[in-house]
Amino acid sequence: MADVKIEKVFKRYGSVQIMHGVGVDIEDGEFVVLVGPSGCGKSTLLRMIAGLEEISEGTISIGGRIVNDVLPKERDIAMVFQSYALYPHKTVFDNIGFPLKMAKRSQAEIKEKVHKAAEILDLTKLLDRYPKQLSGGQRQRVAMGRAIVRDPQVFLFDEPLSNLDAKLRVTMRVEIKELHQRLKTTIVYVTHDQIEAMTMADKIVVMRDGRVEQIGAPLDLYDNPQNVFVAGFIGSPAMNFVQGTIKGSGTKKQFVSDGGLTLPVPATAAADGQAVTYGVRPEHISVGAEGILLRVVVTEPTGAETQIFAKAGKDMMDAIVKERISAAPGEEIGFVIDPANVHLFDRKTERRI
Amino acid sequence: MKSNTFGWILLAPTIVVLFFFGVLPFLYVVYVSFHQWNPFAANPNMIYNAAGNFRQIVFDSAFLASLGVTVAFVFFAVLTEVVVGYVLAQAFMSDFPGKAFFRTIHTLPLIIAPIIVGSIWKLMTTPSIGIIPHLLQSSVGFDLNIGQSAAAAFIITITMDIWHWTPLVTLTLIAALVSLPPDPFEQAQIDGAGKWQIFWHITLPMIAPAVMATVFIRLMDALRIVDEVLMLTGGGPGSATRYIGVHIFREVFPRTNYGYGSAISVVVLYLTIVVCWLLYTGMLAPRKPRKG
Repeated sequence: MADVKIEKVFKRYGSVQIMHGVGVDIEDGEFVVLVGPSGCGKSTLLRMIAGLEEISEGTISIGGRIVNDVLPKERDIAMVFQSYALYPHKTVFDNIGFPLKMAKRSQAEIKEKVHKAAEILDLTKLLDRYPKQLSGGQRQRVAMGRAIVRDPQVFLFDEPLSNLDAKLRVTMRVEIKELHQRLKTTIVYVTHDQIEAMTMADKIVVMRDGRVEQIGAPLDLYDNPQNVFVAGFIGSPAMNFVQGTIKGSGTKKQFVSDGGLTLPVPATAAADGQAVTYGVRPEHISVGAEGILLRVVVTEPTGAETQIFAKAGKDMMDAIVKERISAAPGEEIGFVIDPANVHLFDRKTERRI
Repeated sequence: MKSNTFGWILLAPTIVVLFFFGVLPFLYVVYVSFHQWNPFAANPNMIYNAAGNFRQIVFDSAFLASLGVTVAFVFFAVLTEVVVGYVLAQAFMSDFPGKAFFRTIHTLPLIIAPIIVGSIWKLMTTPSIGIIPHLLQSSVGFDLNIGQSAAAAFIITITMDIWHWTPLVTLTLIAALVSLPPDPFEQAQIDGAGKWQIFWHITLPMIAPAVMATVFIRLMDALRIVDEVLMLTGGGPGSATRYIGVHIFREVFPRTNYGYGSAISVVVLYLTIVVCWLLYTGMLAPRKPRKG
């Protein structure tokens, strides 16, 4: 087990720079998720930790040792690829036992450890099979088994669940989290799925275009997004954004959208006349007669809750409520917004005010 | 059923051609191999003599000697071709300036007809006019004469075969290497495998089917080599390079010993099949997935 320090890391391919001074501190035993849209550099960063990509500038250290020039095989890490990367010509037993064989462990030890891992992952009956005789979920577990047998300093996961169907993904999510609680090994996990990030991580690193946008605990990111990107990326369905300006001063401050909609604001540092982006999550809006009036566009009942899309002029907002509301399109509905749940961002810098 | 009939119709021309030019001549050779038949002998007719030809083969020292040098020739030639072919294929997998040019140049021997290859090498190795004896003489003082030295003739025929056929191995192995997924190799690095271990545990097993296919093709081709060797050494000096194809040719054409020549052909075909089968079961079959 070890901590991982990523300091001012740059990555260039020729003249193209794709990573611009990324810095992340990962503590010993922490479960860190790198999340972001495709092309944000999260997989590249993971591959740099693994040693599969060169670091153009900056340092990465594992357990206090700078590993920039250390070969992957000497970094004492285990990685699970999105494709699982199983050896097609080896049985499940040989796949899981391969790292131990490379480490020149005794046959007896390999046998013992592989069986133990197989037991944890429920693979005991499949040890004689070849990868092509396994289902996607089973292959995924074999890849995990190969990672856990060697008891590495750090686990690296590169979108390990994205090839599984939705139901299996939820199951495996729980299994991985449980595994982490049991092994207490540092995990760096890459995903583009913010739900996966929210549910599994101790700490989330949100990335975009080769930069770190925000680092924090899942609920911290949810409650205090530092910019519009993080606010829109974390949370599902995504946060409502309305463009407008702050009008008034003191306790009489209000937000007036470009379309003329007036919305309540919290006590804020935003000055009178400042152009802002107004953000409120759908689940923080309730429905009531005292609310701001909008026209219903669509309602989507899912049983447990109802999502209502409504419009006032050009401004579209959606709300998720527990009540079963059957409002016809075109009907007026009142959206109640608690100012405490409102996020304000500067329109130019996109940063939180 | 309908689509099946259509399939047979499409295949029919090939089947007909193969039947007349492949199956019938083969069956005829088998038929002839059970007869004594020399049109210029006292009795020019085909005389049935059951397994007489085959019995003769077993005690024929010329045939056994020929078989011996053939096996040695095939072993050294094919082994070197596969090793050199793999090294070249790996080299062509990486980027270097002029790669496309070298790849094209290196495949040129493939498009040269064997008889031409034989004459090129004859020209290059003939004492006093060939470039190879000249260079060996002037650089290390070695006197190469494939008309006199059995070992030299043997080695030069192997070298010629390597020169001619290594590109085929390289091309097949490039195709195999290109189609490999990258992930298992990265995974192996992380799992702690070094270069040799990756080659031995990952690369080799994953390209094994392609390697085996190439070995089969080269094995069968090398076993029936005739024209290049006939052109270069004529099977000599003595019988140093009288490989089995050359032996059959000598038996059938100058001596018109059709029955006996056919019998040798059948035996050689049988031996080829046995060798391929042994290789296949030894190398590939254990990797077939077990049921369960």
